[in-house]
Amino acid sequence: MHMLSTALLALRSLSAGIWVIVALVVVSFVALSFSSRERTASLEMWMFSPEHLAMYDPVLEDREAADELDLHVSLMSIAALKSRMMSGFFGGLDTADLIEVERATVGQAFMGPVDAIGFRDLTSRLRDEGLLDTFNPPSLSPWSVDGRVFGLPHDVHPVMLAYRADLVEAAGIDLQQATTWQEFFALLQPVMTDADGDGKPDRYALSMWVTQQDNIELLLMQGGGALFAADGSPTVDSARNAALLAEIVSWCAGPNRVVTDVDEFSAAGHQDRINGVAIAYLCPDWMCSVWRMHVPQIGGKMKLMPLPAFEPGGRRTSVRGGTMLGFPRTSKNFDRAWEIAMLLYNSPEIARTLYKEVDIITPVQSLWSDPVYDEPDPFFMGQAKGRMFIELAPDVPVRTSSPYNQNAVLEFRDAAVNLLNWANTNGVDEPDALREQAQQLLHIAQKNVARQMARNVFTGVE
Amino acid sequence: MTSNNAKRTRVAWVLLTPFLALFVVFMVYPLVQSAFLAANQTFGPGTRTFVGERNFALLIEDPLFWKSIRNTIVYALGSLLIQLPMAFGLALALNSRHLRGRALYRLLFFSPQLMGLVFVSILGALAFEKRAGLINQALHWASSYSLLSWTTPSGGWLEYAWLQEHVMATLILISLWLYVGFNMIYFLAALQNVDQSLIEAAEIDGANARAKLFHVVLPSIRPVATFVVLLSMIGSLQLFELPYVLLDGNGGPNNQGLTIVMYLYQSGFELGDLGYASAIGWALAIMLIGLAFIQIRMMRREEASS
Repeated sequence: MHMLSTALLALRSLSAGIWVIVALVVVSFVALSFSSRERTASLEMWMFSPEHLAMYDPVLEDREAADELDLHVSLMSIAALKSRMMSGFFGGLDTADLIEVERATVGQAFMGPVDAIGFRDLTSRLRDEGLLDTFNPPSLSPWSVDGRVFGLPHDVHPVMLAYRADLVEAAGIDLQQATTWQEFFALLQPVMTDADGDGKPDRYALSMWVTQQDNIELLLMQGGGALFAADGSPTVDSARNAALLAEIVSWCAGPNRVVTDVDEFSAAGHQDRINGVAIAYLCPDWMCSVWRMHVPQIGGKMKLMPLPAFEPGGRRTSVRGGTMLGFPRTSKNFDRAWEIAMLLYNSPEIARTLYKEVDIITPVQSLWSDPVYDEPDPFFMGQAKGRMFIELAPDVPVRTSSPYNQNAVLEFRDAAVNLLNWANTNGVDEPDALREQAQQLLHIAQKNVARQMARNVFTGVE
Repeated sequence: MTSNNAKRTRVAWVLLTPFLALFVVFMVYPLVQSAFLAANQTFGPGTRTFVGERNFALLIEDPLFWKSIRNTIVYALGSLLIQLPMAFGLALALNSRHLRGRALYRLLFFSPQLMGLVFVSILGALAFEKRAGLINQALHWASSYSLLSWTTPSGGWLEYAWLQEHVMATLILISLWLYVGFNMIYFLAALQNVDQSLIEAAEIDGANARAKLFHVVLPSIRPVATFVVLLSMIGSLQLFELPYVLLDGNGGPNNQGLTIVMYLYQSGFELGDLGYASAIGWALAIMLIGLAFIQIRMMRREEASS
């Protein structure tokens, strides 16, 4: 009793400010404890792309108006989405009924064996509904583990070569004749001149650099290289990868280099594009809308063509980026969520809007006959850009879903950076002369990737 | 008397209880849990396998861990040897009674702190861009007037890729902008508290400016200087946001910008190996404890000498 009264006396001596803080703590605690955590909608969807949401909104609103749908969509940054998704998966907690995830984000979710993956296995459902064959086959690969499909592909993202046709044609060059990279660089030699006398070309043939890991990966896949085998084991130091690395780095090396790095998304990079610092760019379908929005000045001056191949008869496209729609295992509304997915991912209207608004072609092959893809695009001098991308879509390389892909890509990039330094230090810029060093650097990269994989709790503990 | 003492002890415990509860929940429990995690290989908190000391053994053999330590120490030394002398120099300049508009200068030098690390990182990235970046443009302009022609790299200053060639130097330069003004405030406060009678006595004894600085001012501000050095070192060892924003969440080419805390974050939150991340955290904690120990020794030595 005495103790209590002494404590109360001590508390009375506290200042008014302290009591205000205590009151705020108590009020907040009570408010949070009694606030409703129940979902207001029966279904929850998480997305990272405001452009996608803008496309889905009219369709979803129509359904909601007809009382056929009760869906709440949360738009968040890629980092926030990854963090919330993985926290849910790690803890076995509720996340959302549908999650749209970007390729670089989803890897971590695929780290364990098939039954530990936080997304629902869609293979049987897709097969039962006859949908498995409707998608462009390579577009399922980044979302598949051990032959099981864990997400619906949102896109194909084939890559073409976009070039400043105004500059090239003014020089009397027909670049569409170039079928290999060698022919491409040879044809563009006349425009890589030093008119201002500063000792370096005023324009370079291609925008690409060893530090641009996405473009390096794109070229590696185009040339038939791969960082992982089908069983998920690393193949970073394969002979094919070494040959491609030597070839790509030779473009950047020496006084006669033919490429430069124009930043892809910054204002400075866009200014370089306007100035024609590089003639050609590696252009996935989605890049067209980035340029349309940020660099309208180059509209009507660009043309597209299939990528030149590494060897005669080789692959003329590649792939970059990608999004899937996944269904977390914890969702109790899978059938309702599936209906929404079909509405958003199989609808001809949304596929058309997807192309018209953000230049992305759908992976649903039956929708490729839509005439929207044949419309001439004034930004690309009237070319039927959609049809050109679709013709290349079946050829996009099959990609790995390894959770270590991002690490392997960064290791490959570092090997490229080191090979370029070695080439410049030793005055070597021929692919054949670079190959042995490339192989050695890729051995190191392979060891680093293997070391990271050995720490996998599911497979790495001896 | 004894009863009074017992009562006071009980009251003390009652009043300490809220703090102790929070301390145990938010400090002791996470510490114990992280020690436990460090002996496990995990995938998030749900999947774990006991591996004993294996995480620490892997850490010792892990070249990325040592690279992150080397990078962090380079940054910390850069902070110590460049940032703090500059901060002290600025504080000396702003402490001068002859300087007009001192309040304005103080605000200007301190203002980057108001923007925050992420914003400064984004602006830093723009300033150090190739071709259009402010730094390369300025160097290109200077070299064209022969001021810096002898330092011009082979491809010219406009093409110089700071964030590819010299990641750590770029980080140190950007952090100067942020922290020089911040540390200057500590030094300035210390300089303003230097006993003027000591300086006047030194002047009467014929001391010149250099002698006053080294024999009166510096000894007077030593406790603050020690504190700033330690604060700066500990902050440097915990470097994360600046390279994370500047290098798009990875360590940059050849992991030149990978710091200890970045590696911890990558291991724990990107690869899901909270056990390995905990082991890295303990390695960092040991380094910080070592620094704190040095600080205590230095302060005790100062107390003994005074």
